[in-house]
Amino acid sequence: MADTILVVVEQREGKLNRVSWETLAGAQALAAETGWVLEAAVVGSGVGDVAAEVAAKKVSKVYDIESSKLEPYTPDGFVAALKSFIEEKKPKLVLMPHTYQVRDFVPKLATALHRSLISDAIGYKYEGGKLLFTRQMFQGKFVADVSFTGDAPYFATFQSGAYRGDKVEDGGASARVETVNVAIADGVIRNKPEAPFKEAKQAVDLTQAEIIVSVGRGIKEQKNIELAQQLATALGGEIAASRPICDSGWLPMDRQVGSSGQTVAPKLYLALGISGAIQHVVGMKGAHSIIAINKDSEAPIFEIADIAVVGNLFDIVPPLIEEVKKAKGT
Amino acid sequence: MIVFRKPLPNIERPTMEADVVIVGGGPAGMACALRLAQLIDDHNAKHPDAPLSKDNIYVLEKAREVGAHCLSGALLDPRSMLELLPDFESEAPLEAAVVKEAVYYLTRNGKFKLPITPPPLRDHGNYVISINRFVKWLASKVEAAGITIFTGFAGSELLFEKGRVLGVRTDDKGVDKNGEPKSNFEPGYDLKAKVVILAEGSRGSLTKQLIGRFQLDHERNPQTYGIGVKELWELPPGRIAAGEVIYTMGYPLTFHEYGGAWIYGAHSNLVSLGFVTGLDYADPRIDPQRVLQEFKKHPFIAKLLESGKMVRYGAKSLPYGGWWCIPPVAGDGWMILGDSAGFLNSQRLKGIHLAIKSGMLAAETAYDAMAKADFSLDVLGKFQERVEKSWIKEELWPVRNFHQGFDKGFLSGMFHAGVQQITGGRGLKAHYSNHAGHLRMKQLSHLPADGGDDSHIINAAKGDGKLTFDKVTDVYYSGTKHEEDQPAHLVIQDTDICNERCVREYGNPCKNFCPANVYEMVEATDTPSGLQIHLNASNCVHCKTCDIMDPYEIITWVPPEGGGGPNYEGM
Repeated sequence: MADTILVVVEQREGKLNRVSWETLAGAQALAAETGWVLEAAVVGSGVGDVAAEVAAKKVSKVYDIESSKLEPYTPDGFVAALKSFIEEKKPKLVLMPHTYQVRDFVPKLATALHRSLISDAIGYKYEGGKLLFTRQMFQGKFVADVSFTGDAPYFATFQSGAYRGDKVEDGGASARVETVNVAIADGVIRNKPEAPFKEAKQAVDLTQAEIIVSVGRGIKEQKNIELAQQLATALGGEIAASRPICDSGWLPMDRQVGSSGQTVAPKLYLALGISGAIQHVVGMKGAHSIIAINKDSEAPIFEIADIAVVGNLFDIVPPLIEEVKKAKGT
Repeated sequence: MIVFRKPLPNIERPTMEADVVIVGGGPAGMACALRLAQLIDDHNAKHPDAPLSKDNIYVLEKAREVGAHCLSGALLDPRSMLELLPDFESEAPLEAAVVKEAVYYLTRNGKFKLPITPPPLRDHGNYVISINRFVKWLASKVEAAGITIFTGFAGSELLFEKGRVLGVRTDDKGVDKNGEPKSNFEPGYDLKAKVVILAEGSRGSLTKQLIGRFQLDHERNPQTYGIGVKELWELPPGRIAAGEVIYTMGYPLTFHEYGGAWIYGAHSNLVSLGFVTGLDYADPRIDPQRVLQEFKKHPFIAKLLESGKMVRYGAKSLPYGGWWCIPPVAGDGWMILGDSAGFLNSQRLKGIHLAIKSGMLAAETAYDAMAKADFSLDVLGKFQERVEKSWIKEELWPVRNFHQGFDKGFLSGMFHAGVQQITGGRGLKAHYSNHAGHLRMKQLSHLPADGGDDSHIINAAKGDGKLTFDKVTDVYYSGTKHEEDQPAHLVIQDTDICNERCVREYGNPCKNFCPANVYEMVEATDTPSGLQIHLNASNCVHCKTCDIMDPYEIITWVPPEGGGGPNYEGM
C-alpha cells in the first residue's frame, strides 16, 4: 500500500478555519515532494458539505467521519473516532492544524496509539528519504529540525501562518468522498462540553469615554470602589483606576490608566484619592478638565488639576453624587 | 498572599546541548564571547582539517535588548579593550576622552578641592562612555562573529550533577501572578552545557546559587557592596566639558558612611552623575536615592545643575570588597567573571576593564577545553591560574586591603589607605578582615529617633520636580517595564518577619534601600503590627540591593520573566 498523508481538517459550524487550509497547502507540497498519497478527513456530525468542499481541492480522497456523538466537540469523542479510523487506514503521516482544539485532543490521540507528535511546526524538509519538521525555539531565535523515531503513523501539527491558505491547489475533478460512520460506545465520552468559549466582549475602551472617574489608593478598601462607581454612573462615565487598585485586583487591569495601562484624554477626568505619580499622570494629562480630590494638599496631582479639592473623598463624593443626580433630574 | 517565582515543578522542558553558555551579556560576557570567537577563527584558519564550531556557544541576556540592564558611571580604562580589539578606539562609541579631573571634599555648604588628584583617581587616558551604548556595540561584534545572543532569556537556575555544573535552566514564560501557566506558557529550556560562564554582574543570582552550593565563600572575606544611584542630565552648554571628571567625598554622607559621587561630562551636554552609598551603613532608615537628591541640593552641585533637565535614572549595586572577597572563579563546569566574581578596583572605582579582561581569560580557557575536547576540572581550573598570573591580580593585589580599611568608618579608612599606600598595599596587617555590610545595620532602638547626624538622608526624598525627585518619579525615568501578571521575583522566605519582627526592629529598611519603590508597607488588618509588606515587583531595576542589604537575609532576588526590567538606553 502506498504511503499516505492524512490531513485532519477542523470545521466549526460547517466552516473550515484558515489554519486548516494552510495545513492542507503544506500537505499538498509535502505530497508533491514525497510522492505520497494525500487524503483528508473531516470529523463531525453532518459535515458532508465541508467534506465536499475539501474534495474540490487536489486530494486523492476525503473521508467524512460521522457520528452524532461528534457534535459538539469533545476530546474523548474525537480521540475515539480518529483512533479507530487511523488504526484501520494506517496512514504514514497525520497532519493537523495547530489550533486550540487540536492541542486539546491530539496529545491524547498520539499517546493512545503509542506514537509521537511534533507539534507547532513551521515547515518540513524532506532530505534523502528522511522527513524532518522545523520547529521554533527560543521564541523564534532558533529553528530546530526534528525527526520521528519509532513506527508510523507519525503525527505533526502546523503552526498558523506556516503555509498560505490561498495556495491550496484545486483538483481536476472532485475527489471521492467516503462517509465513515464511526460507532462511539456509550460511556466513552466523559467530557460534558459547555457552550463554546467566545472572546470576551471588547474590553472597556477607556479611550472613548468622555467622563472618567478614577480611583487611587485613597479609596482605602475594595468595598469603597462602589462609591466611585455610583459617581461614574450618575455622571454617565466610566470608572478607572491607578496601578495599586488594579494591582490589588479591585478593578480589572483594563481599567488601569497610566504608563503600564491605558492613555486617556476624556473631557472630564475626576481623580479620587490619586496622588498623581508621574506613571499615572502620563496616562491622563491630556484630559480637557481634571478635577482632583485628595486629602494631601501637596499631592502632585494638584499640579495638573484644573480644580483641586483638598479634603476627604468620603465626605465629598456622597453629596456630589446626590447633586449630580439632582442636576440631571434622575 | 504573595506568590513568589520559582521554576514550575513537574513539567517537561525542552533541552538543548551547548558547548559554552555565557550567562549575562554585559562587558564581561560579551568580551568572553568575542575573544572565544577570535580564538576559534584563528584555530580554524590554522587547522582547516579540524575546525571548531561556534554554533553551540550561546549568550543569555535577560534584557529585551542587549545593554538595557547595563549601568555604570562610566569610565573605561582602555587596557583590556586594546588587547581585545587593538583598534577599538576608532570605532567604539566613546563619549569623550578624559580631559580634566578634580576631587572635592564636600561639607554641608562648602567644598575643598584636593590640591592634587590622588593617583588612583587620575583618569587621563581613560574614556567617558555610556556602558549601554558600548555594550550594544560589543554585542554587534559578537553577533557578527557568529555567536548567538538570546536576548529576553534569563538564567533562572543552575543544573547540577553532584559536584558539577551541568547547565542552565532559562526562565519559564507566561506564568501568572498565582504561579499558574497562562495560555502563552512556554517552559524554560534546559541548556546542557560543557561549561557555564557566569557573567551576571553584581550579586548574580546564579552565582549566588553556586557560591551557596559549593561554599565558595569559605575562607574569604564577605563581599561588600555599594549601591550606585545615577541620573543622566542634560545641561546648558558650557557647564561641564565633555571628558571632565569630578569626584566628591563627604556630604551628604557623614563620617559613619562610606561613599561618594561622580560627575562625568559626556558629549552633547549630557552629564552622568551619581552617588555610591556603601551598603554597610548603620541606620536602616538611610535611603540611597535620597542621598543622591541631597547631594544635588549642595550649593556646588545645585549651581552646576541649574536649569538643566534630568533625562534618565538608574541604580545598580557594585561589589567593592576587592581581592580577599573574590571566590574561587573556576570549577567543574563553571567559571565566574567580572562583577559576579568581584573584579573591581574600589580605589579607582573601576571594574569594566577588569570584567573585560576576566572574560578574555575565561575565553582562552574555554577555547583550550574546546580544542582539547576536554572540559574537565583540570582544563577549566586553569582560569584561576590565568587570573592570578594576569594584570588583574597585579592591579587588585596592592589595593587588597583598601576597602576593608574603611570597616570602622571614614577617618580610620583614610588612615589605613595612607599606610597601605606606603607599604605596597599591606597596611598594618597582611589580611584585613571585614564584616558583611548588612551586619552593621543597627536596630531602631539603638538610634536617635530623628536620625541624628543622618537626619537629612533618612526616609524618602520629597523632590521639587526640578532639581530633586521623589523615588517614584525617578523610577519612571528608568524606563522599567515588566509583564505585570507574573509571580513576584523578590522571593521573601518568610513575610511574617517583615510584618512583625522587622517592623519593630528595623522599621523595614527595604522600603528605604530599594531605589525603585518595590517594597512598601501597607496598612493591614490581620497582622499584629497593622502593617503588611507589599511588593511593586514591576518597578524593579534589577540592582540586587535587597538581596544584599536585607538585615535578616531573607530576600532572594531571582530573575523575573525574561525581557522585563529597566531600559538604560544611553545610560
